[in-house]
Amino acid sequence: MTSTSRDVAPKEQTRAALLFLLPAFVLIAVFVAYPIVYAGWLSFFQWDGASAPAFVGLDNFLRLATDAIFWKSLGRNLLIAATAIVLQVFLALLIAYCLVRIVPFVSRLFLFFYLVPVMVSEICIGLLWRFLYNPYFGLVNASLKALGLGSLQRGWLGDSATAFPAVVVVMSFTYLGLYVLLFVAAVRNVPETLYETAEIDGAGHFTKFFSITVPMVWDAVRANTLLAIIGSLKTFSLVFVLTNGGPNHASEVVSTYLYKAGFSSFEMGYAATIGFAQMVLTAAGAFIIFRYLKRARGGSER
Amino acid sequence: MRLKGLLAMGVAVMLGAAPAAAGELSFWHAYAGQQDKTDFINFALDAFAKAHPDIKLDVVPAEQSAYKTKLNTAMASGNPPDVFYTLPGGFLGAFVDGGQMYALDEDLAKDGWGASFLESALAQTTKNGKVYAAPVDVDAAVFWYNKALFAEHGWEVPKTYDELVALAEKIKGEGLIPFALGNKDSWPATFWFQYLEMRLKGSGAVAAFVNKDADATLQPEAADAFARIADLAQKGYFPIGFNGMSDQEANMLFLNGQAAMLLNGTWQIGASKDAPEGFELASFAFPEVAGGKGDQTDVLAGVAAAFGISEKAANKADAVTLLRFLTSPEVMTKYVDLRKTMVTVKDATTEAAAGPVLYGISNGLMKSAGHLDPFYDTAMQPKATNAYYTSLQGVLDGSVKPEDAAKKLEDALKAGQ
Repeated sequence: MTSTSRDVAPKEQTRAALLFLLPAFVLIAVFVAYPIVYAGWLSFFQWDGASAPAFVGLDNFLRLATDAIFWKSLGRNLLIAATAIVLQVFLALLIAYCLVRIVPFVSRLFLFFYLVPVMVSEICIGLLWRFLYNPYFGLVNASLKALGLGSLQRGWLGDSATAFPAVVVVMSFTYLGLYVLLFVAAVRNVPETLYETAEIDGAGHFTKFFSITVPMVWDAVRANTLLAIIGSLKTFSLVFVLTNGGPNHASEVVSTYLYKAGFSSFEMGYAATIGFAQMVLTAAGAFIIFRYLKRARGGSER
Repeated sequence: MRLKGLLAMGVAVMLGAAPAAAGELSFWHAYAGQQDKTDFINFALDAFAKAHPDIKLDVVPAEQSAYKTKLNTAMASGNPPDVFYTLPGGFLGAFVDGGQMYALDEDLAKDGWGASFLESALAQTTKNGKVYAAPVDVDAAVFWYNKALFAEHGWEVPKTYDELVALAEKIKGEGLIPFALGNKDSWPATFWFQYLEMRLKGSGAVAAFVNKDADATLQPEAADAFARIADLAQKGYFPIGFNGMSDQEANMLFLNGQAAMLLNGTWQIGASKDAPEGFELASFAFPEVAGGKGDQTDVLAGVAAAFGISEKAANKADAVTLLRFLTSPEVMTKYVDLRKTMVTVKDATTEAAAGPVLYGISNGLMKSAGHLDPFYDTAMQPKATNAYYTSLQGVLDGSVKPEDAAKKLEDALKAGQ
């Protein structure tokens, strides 16, 4: 290669690189950026999906600010996020530690079991749990009866006191395996020497878990917590299949409320407003949590 | 399903409806995607081609869920088909308000075409005194009961609401569920409210809101109707957890003989087709409510579909010919035979085509009905429907007071006016 060609190469390479990036840019512009901008634009309109949209200014946002159902739904999303951190992320880390450090000989088998719900579509899982929860022939009530706890039997999904907790249980069941998988990989990467040193010092599993494993896999904890929170804030299909947000909004989350506004009430403008608010709040929430977790580690460890 | 609708909307915007040439008609329908529907439309169109070889049809079928959006978009873009399938009530009303529908009154007056329809069915495609579509089929809600179970226990069909409640208490006492109800999707409980409102106040209460009648109201009877439903739920006459059960799950209880009765639409006949041995389907009218101001013979029944002609159609004479052919007794009897649904054309729902149960309803209940009141939830504005659904679920599980539910529904209906 001559020196001249070497001078030209970076420019050509840049051009080639841009060319290769172009399809991705186009796809993102068409399928991500445009819908977001369009939803933002639509949130200033009243539109039934058929006739011409009517500009209403900030009316949709004012309505959203005072819409008790929306705020309660958002509260439920936050509650799901909180339970996800405990019942999905933390529990998964605990399970991963047990699988890798305590019962490594069956870890592959158990990992497979935990992964089954991750591989099945959420709709199928939802339908399956609808049967488990069925008050008349469902396994949940039948088990309670068999255990002599017949007085606890109830219509789980149809009772406004239990509908939401029942949905949260299914969510944890569905997503736990994913985090177990991610954590098993992370825990396996923790250097064996650290555990050996700790054992010489007489450390038990409790100390090894909290003082070695957690700090060593902190990056994975952070990433998984973030995933769990984002997933919780935009969760839809399980709620939709299990209760459709009912009875009387008792298990409504933002996404199911959005769906109803858009596709049952045909208030497309308001649905766009809900969607836009959901996106902004999710992004803001994720950012804050991510920053907080970064600092939490910097403060306590190293 | 709805996503498909959006897709169809996009496609419809791009294509529009091609303008038809002379002697040619564009015809849109929603009889696709289901065997009984396609069988019917194939039969009807083949017969039409034989009877009228001079009229060429440009047929565009779509599935029900996608069809509404597709037609809406075509109408909004000013490119409607000449003849098309439509839903009655608010859906058709929007087109009428937009001046896009051709009034059929003059044609209906000729050769007894208008007289061939049930008057109460035509009323549901009438707006501002004019008929804008020819009604096709009609669904009615009635009480269904397991005749074998009733005979086994010696229960009698109740004539009054008080008898119904007393019977429910008796059934509950024998360890069975009096009324199957799967209200997860909210529409199944609407029949209870509407029938009580019809018996207590009278038919046409929601229709009055839709027609922008200033005096329209559901009150004060609505609070009473909600209170009666709350009472039934509180007494445990519905299945445990009914607000979380689907209609199919409720049907399992009914078909397996765990529940004795079910208030549901005439589609229950189809849903009971595969019932286990020992199940026998029969029906009775929603009983009389003592002291109610409504006509106690009224039936909750709605026209499910209709055919209309666009005001823009160039060839109206041929369009009317097509409509008359589709709603002729021969074609409509075939419709009953294939789809096991009642039709609005008088005497077309024959016993041979409909089967004994449906014929019994069509020939008895429907003929003696003072009025047919169309389904509230589809007649009212979509926005109000959500308020209707959620208040009913709330009243049923005791979290909403009957008078609050009545007020919320009334407000939602007023807001939609």
